[in-house]
Amino acid sequence: WTTAGGVTSRHTMDKSITLPPDEIFRNLENAKRFAIDIGGSLTKLAYYSTVQHKVAKVRSFDHATKEATSDELYEISVQEEVTARLHFIKFENAYIETCLDFVRDHLVNTDTKVIKATGGGAHKFKELIERKLGLRVDKEDEMTCLIKGCNFVLRNIPHEAFVYAKHADSEFRFQTTQPDIFPYLLVNIGSGVSIVKVESEDKFERIGGSSIGGGTFWGLGALLTKTKRFDELLQLASKGQHTSVDMLVKDIYGGSYGSLGLTGDLIASSFGKSATADKEFRCYMAKSLLHMISNDIGQLACLYAKLHNLSRVYFGGFFIRGHPVTMHTITYSINFFTKGEVQALFLRHEGYLGAIGAFLKGAEEDNPNQYSWGENYAGSSGLMSVSPDMNPMQRARSGTFDMLEMDRLERKLVNLPLLQDASSYIPDTVDLAEDALAREYWLYCFEEALDGVVKRALASQPDMPEAAERAEKFRQKYRHKLQTLRHQPL
Amino acid sequence: LFWSGSTVAATMAEWSGLHSSTSRHTMDKSITLPPDEIFRNLENAKRFAIDIGGSLTKLAYYSTVQHKVAKVRSFDHATKATSDELYEISVQEEVTARLHFIKFENAYIETCLDFVRDHLVNTDTKVIKATGGGAHKFKELIERKLGLRVDKEDEMTCLIKGCNFVLRNIPHEAFVYAKHADSEFRFQTTQPDIFPYLLVNIGSGVSIVKVESEDKFERIGGSSIGGGTFWGLGALLTKTKRFDELLQLASKGQHTSVDMLVKDIYGGSYGSLGLTGDLIASSFGKSATADKGFPKEDMAKSLLHMISNDIGQLACLYAKLHNLSRVYFGGFFIRGHPVTMHTITYSINFFTKGEVQALFLRHEGYLGAIGAFLKGAEEDNPNQYSWGENYAGSSGLMSVSPDMNPMQRARSGTFDMLEMDRLERKLVNLPLLQDASSYIPDTVDLAEDALAREYWLYCFEEALDGVVKRALASQPDMPEAAERAEKFRQKYRHKLQTLRHQPFAYGSLTVRSLLDTREHCLNEFNFPDPYSKIKQRENDMALKYYQKVVKSLEELSWEERQFALIRGVLAGNVFDWGAKAVSDVLESEPEFGFEQAKRKLEERPWLVDSYDQWFERLKGPPHKCALFFVDNSGLDIILGVMPFVRELLSRGTEVVLASNSAPALNDVTNGELQILTESIAAMDPVIQAGLREDRLTLVQSGSSSPCLDLSRLDKVLAMVVRERKTDLVIIEGMGRAIHTNYYAMLSCESLKMAVIKNSWLADRLGGKLFSVVFKYEVPAAGHDSEALTPP
Repeated sequence: WTTAGGVTSRHTMDKSITLPPDEIFRNLENAKRFAIDIGGSLTKLAYYSTVQHKVAKVRSFDHATKEATSDELYEISVQEEVTARLHFIKFENAYIETCLDFVRDHLVNTDTKVIKATGGGAHKFKELIERKLGLRVDKEDEMTCLIKGCNFVLRNIPHEAFVYAKHADSEFRFQTTQPDIFPYLLVNIGSGVSIVKVESEDKFERIGGSSIGGGTFWGLGALLTKTKRFDELLQLASKGQHTSVDMLVKDIYGGSYGSLGLTGDLIASSFGKSATADKEFRCYMAKSLLHMISNDIGQLACLYAKLHNLSRVYFGGFFIRGHPVTMHTITYSINFFTKGEVQALFLRHEGYLGAIGAFLKGAEEDNPNQYSWGENYAGSSGLMSVSPDMNPMQRARSGTFDMLEMDRLERKLVNLPLLQDASSYIPDTVDLAEDALAREYWLYCFEEALDGVVKRALASQPDMPEAAERAEKFRQKYRHKLQTLRHQPL
Repeated sequence: LFWSGSTVAATMAEWSGLHSSTSRHTMDKSITLPPDEIFRNLENAKRFAIDIGGSLTKLAYYSTVQHKVAKVRSFDHATKATSDELYEISVQEEVTARLHFIKFENAYIETCLDFVRDHLVNTDTKVIKATGGGAHKFKELIERKLGLRVDKEDEMTCLIKGCNFVLRNIPHEAFVYAKHADSEFRFQTTQPDIFPYLLVNIGSGVSIVKVESEDKFERIGGSSIGGGTFWGLGALLTKTKRFDELLQLASKGQHTSVDMLVKDIYGGSYGSLGLTGDLIASSFGKSATADKGFPKEDMAKSLLHMISNDIGQLACLYAKLHNLSRVYFGGFFIRGHPVTMHTITYSINFFTKGEVQALFLRHEGYLGAIGAFLKGAEEDNPNQYSWGENYAGSSGLMSVSPDMNPMQRARSGTFDMLEMDRLERKLVNLPLLQDASSYIPDTVDLAEDALAREYWLYCFEEALDGVVKRALASQPDMPEAAERAEKFRQKYRHKLQTLRHQPFAYGSLTVRSLLDTREHCLNEFNFPDPYSKIKQRENDMALKYYQKVVKSLEELSWEERQFALIRGVLAGNVFDWGAKAVSDVLESEPEFGFEQAKRKLEERPWLVDSYDQWFERLKGPPHKCALFFVDNSGLDIILGVMPFVRELLSRGTEVVLASNSAPALNDVTNGELQILTESIAAMDPVIQAGLREDRLTLVQSGSSSPCLDLSRLDKVLAMVVRERKTDLVIIEGMGRAIHTNYYAMLSCESLKMAVIKNSWLADRLGGKLFSVVFKYEVPAAGHDSEALTPP
């Protein structure tokens, strides 16, 4: 199921899957404001819900009625509080019917009349959604949603953007949030490529595009290698040697072309050798194709960035989505063409941008942009590496359901005005992702301390009989998070 | 070129593939090269250069050509007595420099090198300049075969040098491609300043080079998605290993079954982003999910679109980044292939919304060879001279359109030639052109006007017999003249046939290019001046009447004289052997006289008649200096032009008479005019004083055409025009004032005078045979009120 394009393997899928209600589609009973983004292969569902949870409050004893029974300064009470939370769930298009059924069955609040929809697949599934959910599908412009979503995550999620470095100590190097996120260039690589210049919250322009995109890699790759699955193609590509297919500068000139500054290993002609080659190797062709497409997109992105004087370029779309191979080749291409002047930036929640944007369009009366929002680590899946070296269990999960939850914070959060340079401020002293020894120690340390924390939590609620069960759930969840972080510090 | 024998022709068809590498083993290398068709003038060849690409080899050499020229010389008056002719005509041998460029498939390289070695006489040559990716592969072979040291030159430098050279020296070198227009190729006029420009060379990969001056260029970008990608991916997808078969597949395919269009995703257009439904959203986007395979044609088409669009987009972005508006495309991906020119043009139009035009070059395949040659010839300073394409020796642009007849395609694939003559004098723009960059000499582009083309090709074919006869008659004492005349006939007829099928072969097709091609072919077969005797006879006859004509003019009132002078010029212009209507009359009525000619003239108002304005202008102050482009010899120059010149001189206007540097039809040449003027001066004190006081100057135009290209004139002429502060330009005759320059805008006053001696043209212009064009023009911004309203 891990394929980004479920289309070809749809018939092999078990659609009668039972969804575990407390894991995904959480808090559906209070859900209102739905949005859905249906891409070529993945569906992203967004909803706003309220979460009731306990908060500990402290209160001074009323001095007038103060009783003599206690000499404590204040009393502690546990209260129920309702907070707003945004839920985003990503799953393959193949599950869409199952998921819609599930949502319908668990939906309690019936005030919702409309679901915002975006993405190329929105018109294809319109009828199904309306029938299943009984909501009117209200289509939103795809590009507007994408940009809105992008602005939202860049503003609200610290360390949203990262630079990819294949051979560095840590693959992902996160960027600190900039006080001003504009202007930037968004290069969305779906089937084709859209290159969008974003100047402010509401001002963006598609300044360019290309028909050579993810669809080209997939389509040409399928024709050349007879491999019809997108990530199998990527896997082939990560193993191949492009030099037996591509014509290099040295193949023509016997070495480098010094006077033009072209090194011998530079690709002079993609697939330049295959017209005269006797043998064909699938992985070589996949590799060459990946290079060709990534280089081309990288070059176009650089040229548009230069023409419009932009230095921040974010890449997204299903061609990128968590694939280290494509992030690597795009990064390489950008470095080559700009000699380091422009950095290729990727986004952790890139897959959700459209859904977030569509949701925001529908929630404009609630003014979500007025608040600050924080990622809820407990409810969010986190970034999954789909590197071929990863253990298959994790890869399988990452492909099925992925979640992002964001809590609305009570108060708007801003920079301390006294920071010398807000744009370079990094709160944390040690980045455990980059410091393997420190990471090792602290992960161990937190795991060791877990028993004590569970004991302490239990002791805090002596009167509640189900506390033991909850404490156990907490232990499991946190231990699982720690284990995940051990394998994927990012 | 013609090879006899149908077996050869059949084999040639097999060779027509641009890329022989895959079919090399099937080739017959024992081909015998016809020596007088290709590798011409090898015996005097020196300075060799070779450019070996992935599939084609281009050989360049410099040689001298000995050919006959007609010279005129006054009889030595001391020994005069034997003849009452004014001057004698002698045919002399002249040696001129010529550049030869031959293009052939790499498969023939060994045969060709053998041929060159066998025919090389001059042994001073020690070095051959070499460039191109294949240069290092064939180095050893060349050194062994030719005994020359291979001296490698940088490929990009050669390419740019060659590009600068053709842009500067070949008018109509660059063209715009428009698939569905009336004429596929629209040629651009030569720009006075060719820099800066962008050259996008699409070979295996793509190089994007910014050229700022003769010696300054920079490779500002490139791409690995180029011709090699089309070929390589195309071969993998379609199992078709030949480049032009792939192109042929592509030209038949439907890309929409393979590509994902905007409407396939959104059901229609994506209006808010301005993307139409038919736009390709994803190249090959449908092929991942398709259940069945695609036709080869469709995949090839999609691939071609993908690559052309990408290159076009990159070219546009680099052009914008560097603020360049002229973008030339070349390389084997382009080389004469209408399919690729079409897709590249489409892509450029799409991405720049028309701001940038995709330009292609007629001699694009030769750039590297030309550049390498120039590198080797730097001590000869070839850039100091002007060069002209020799239409007789050059193959012309071949369309390899799949619709072309296979014979022509096969030929175009084997040997292609370009020959360029070094011109005696450096050619420059007339300084008085209002806008040199927009000046187009020719009035009608026959490539675009199918009816006109039809007519003129027919007309020139009809006239061919007469020209052959005339050429033969001009050399009565030479027994082999008949054979040469026949060769001339065949060559010119073949050129006409080629032009009928490919009107764009030598740039814009115009009456001028048809006339020039004929002159080149005549010269090629040593008929330097078929009209020399006729001109001589007419000059002698006309001179006898000069004084009588002048005297009768003197007797007229000033007003009457002004009109009579104009009528005289026009009547003289009726005499023209170049026009069939007149040559018929002249052949049948040798005594057809000046007075008869006047009677043939149309009465006023003429077809184009601004005589009244001219007359008013004459009442005003005299012009400072008049530049007069003269036409025919005989009655025209002597009885029509000279009296008019005389009047101008009398008014106090200096006169510069510009005549052809070399013969064309019965046009008076500079050599003849020198002698004629001297003998008129002997009879006429006004002319004599003019010469003596340097107020009458004779210059050569730099041309040897019956037409006139004001952007390629002798440097001396331009200098004189500037020094004398010329304020009036007079252009006389159908070739110079109607076929060319009819719409030319000058920055000073101008007079265009001609008698229309062609019924078709008369019809076109709404007149009849012997209609008169008298066009007096004053530049719009300037002194028109002054000129039209005398003080």
